[in-house]
Amino acid sequence: MIKRILTVTVIMATLLTGSTAFATLKVGVLSDLTGPTSSVGVPYAQGVTDCIAYVNANGGVNGEEIKLIQVDYAYNVQQALSAYKRFKSQGIVALQGWGTGDTEALVRFVSRDRIPVFSASYSAHFMDPKKAPYNFTIAPDYSTQGRAGLKYIKDNWKESRAPKLAFVYPDKPYGLVPLKAMKEYAKELGFEITGDEVLGLKAMDATPQLLALKKQNPDFVWVGGTTPSTAVLMKDAKKLGFGGKFLVNIWGNDENLAKMAGPACEGNFGMQAAAVYGQDVSGMKVIEEQTKGQPQMTHYLRGFVSTLVMVEGMKKAAANGKVTGKSIKEALETMRDYDPMGLAPAISYFPDDHRPSMAVNVCTVKDGKLEFLETVSLPRDDKWLGK
Amino acid sequence: MQKCGLFFTTYNSEDQLFPSTFQKTCLGLFMAAMLAAPCVLDFYYISVMNLIMIAVIGAVSLNLLTGVCGQMSLGHGAFVGVGAYGCAVLASKGLPFLLCLLGGGAMAAIAGMIFGIPSLRLKGIYLAISTLAAQLILEYVFLHWTSFTGGANGMPVDSPEIFGFMFDSDEKMFYLIFAITTVCVLGVSNIVRSRSGRAFVAIRDFYQSAENVGVNLFQYKLQAFATSSFMAGLAGGLWAYYTMYITPEQFSIGLSISYLAMIIIGGMGSVLGSIFGAIFITLLPEVLNTATSLLATVAPEASAMAAPLKEGVFGLTLVLFLIFEPEGLVRKWKLIKAYWKLYPFAY
Repeated sequence: MIKRILTVTVIMATLLTGSTAFATLKVGVLSDLTGPTSSVGVPYAQGVTDCIAYVNANGGVNGEEIKLIQVDYAYNVQQALSAYKRFKSQGIVALQGWGTGDTEALVRFVSRDRIPVFSASYSAHFMDPKKAPYNFTIAPDYSTQGRAGLKYIKDNWKESRAPKLAFVYPDKPYGLVPLKAMKEYAKELGFEITGDEVLGLKAMDATPQLLALKKQNPDFVWVGGTTPSTAVLMKDAKKLGFGGKFLVNIWGNDENLAKMAGPACEGNFGMQAAAVYGQDVSGMKVIEEQTKGQPQMTHYLRGFVSTLVMVEGMKKAAANGKVTGKSIKEALETMRDYDPMGLAPAISYFPDDHRPSMAVNVCTVKDGKLEFLETVSLPRDDKWLGK
Repeated sequence: MQKCGLFFTTYNSEDQLFPSTFQKTCLGLFMAAMLAAPCVLDFYYISVMNLIMIAVIGAVSLNLLTGVCGQMSLGHGAFVGVGAYGCAVLASKGLPFLLCLLGGGAMAAIAGMIFGIPSLRLKGIYLAISTLAAQLILEYVFLHWTSFTGGANGMPVDSPEIFGFMFDSDEKMFYLIFAITTVCVLGVSNIVRSRSGRAFVAIRDFYQSAENVGVNLFQYKLQAFATSSFMAGLAGGLWAYYTMYITPEQFSIGLSISYLAMIIIGGMGSVLGSIFGAIFITLLPEVLNTATSLLATVAPEASAMAAPLKEGVFGLTLVLFLIFEPEGLVRKWKLIKAYWKLYPFAY
């Protein structure tokens, strides 16, 4: 008996001393690896994991390692809530979040617990520190992305008449959120808005919507769906001989689009926040090393950048003193034109404005491959904050 | 199964909720353990318990409607949403917490009664589809009645306050949720024993016989919808106050199905079954998550392969339960109790 007690005591002592010897900064990762958004959630989460491996291999944060605690919450808000509580009880200093539902459900918790969150949900109200003081993103909000896309189209519009614009979106918060802002800006730019069509995210057929669109005869159609519904729309458009071009929101335009829609997606436009794998930017070498040359989706790069920016905040916080959620937030708010190795446009946060930048990458699909076209920058207009 | 030596001389004493001293002692100990839990347990466990208790209210209320009264509902998640939004709107007008909670419950009860009207003509799967319509309509309202619900952007809710005391932590919310859950569970247990409860059971077992013995079908069915939705509204209100931010996505069809799964797994028509079901459905993803995390520390490669299996394991567990214990966890519990009562004799 005494022998057993002694053995247990020795093991406990070893574990305790071990845990103090290897002090780490803990970061929670809320991922959708098995739920409805897992097709993009998996590469994004891999980007987060690989970035931490890269940071740890390169000295961590002032010599301290970052330890990830990952939970697959399958896009379920209740599971996200308990995962967050688990993270908090394990002492995380920051969180890599994911979707709109969970980011919204956690917005007041993270603010109360002072834990900065980097999510992949770009609803405009997350950019306003008055409403979401601890929320950060590395891409501008959906409204800004939409405005940038419209600006790109308008800048390249050669005809003398006003370009006609229609909107296709799912009747979901993700599809509805940027509509008002985009319509206002489209009018400002001189677009003629022809109408709206609703297309569900699980749509198998877009013929009714396209027949209605054909009557409106728009030159451009903004698509607020995800890749599967966008592919259906584009394939049906080609089948029906629809002549307009599509301008696709960030989650509807990635490497899978060409696989799903084939030649129908060629030449359309889409907005992205991070570089495309293989793009000629300074950090691509690091990405290629991390991935051993295996091409990854743009969402992977976004996950990588999101973590890189968070780590930069942690490094700044460490330089100022102790790394805590509050100190990371304060450090991030002093970040000006931080270049995430060219993998995304330069990032700045302000205490009263958490929009990372006003720059959006416009992409297209060429020969079955996602290709970067241009970075469109808008002015950091206060009237757009949170809208 | 009656305890040996437990005899009754009046109907009232036989009809008690807790007839034996042993049961009362066990309940007392359970209550004491629950009250002590926030002082002992880590707040992660407390938060999981909070989620379980909110689920218990929702499941108990749905069991009253579906398990006891036999009225199938696929719109329960939306009624929870009505309560949550009702609470949030009243709270934003500056009303005190208890009024907001009751107001949210009342709004859900009204919604439940409106969508319960077809129950007079529709039964079984037809009623299920009708309540599914309620789910879709209410989801649409949550998303598009922007001036009331905040639309796609959702609504923030402040922590509840009673006489200046703020319930602004998991531990404090635990006591509040526990108190309301206790009231709801006791409430449903008592309704089942009352005249209304007997009428509900009569309707469930055979509506024509119920009508023949003088049960007003329309009145009692609506009563079941109203009571059930009221409590669903309370669950929604507590959810809103607990999460402090509500959006339409939180009250989707998935929530309705989840409540239905709770009462099927737990045991239809049983209050205790609803509690077991709520615990099971809330804890299962947590257990699976913990298992995959542990696997990740031991064998990362295997964990990566096991992660997509998680949803399958969840589904498989439900199917196995339905095959091997179709009457739910509550029957298992009764069998265990019977085993120990008779031990060491088999009969």
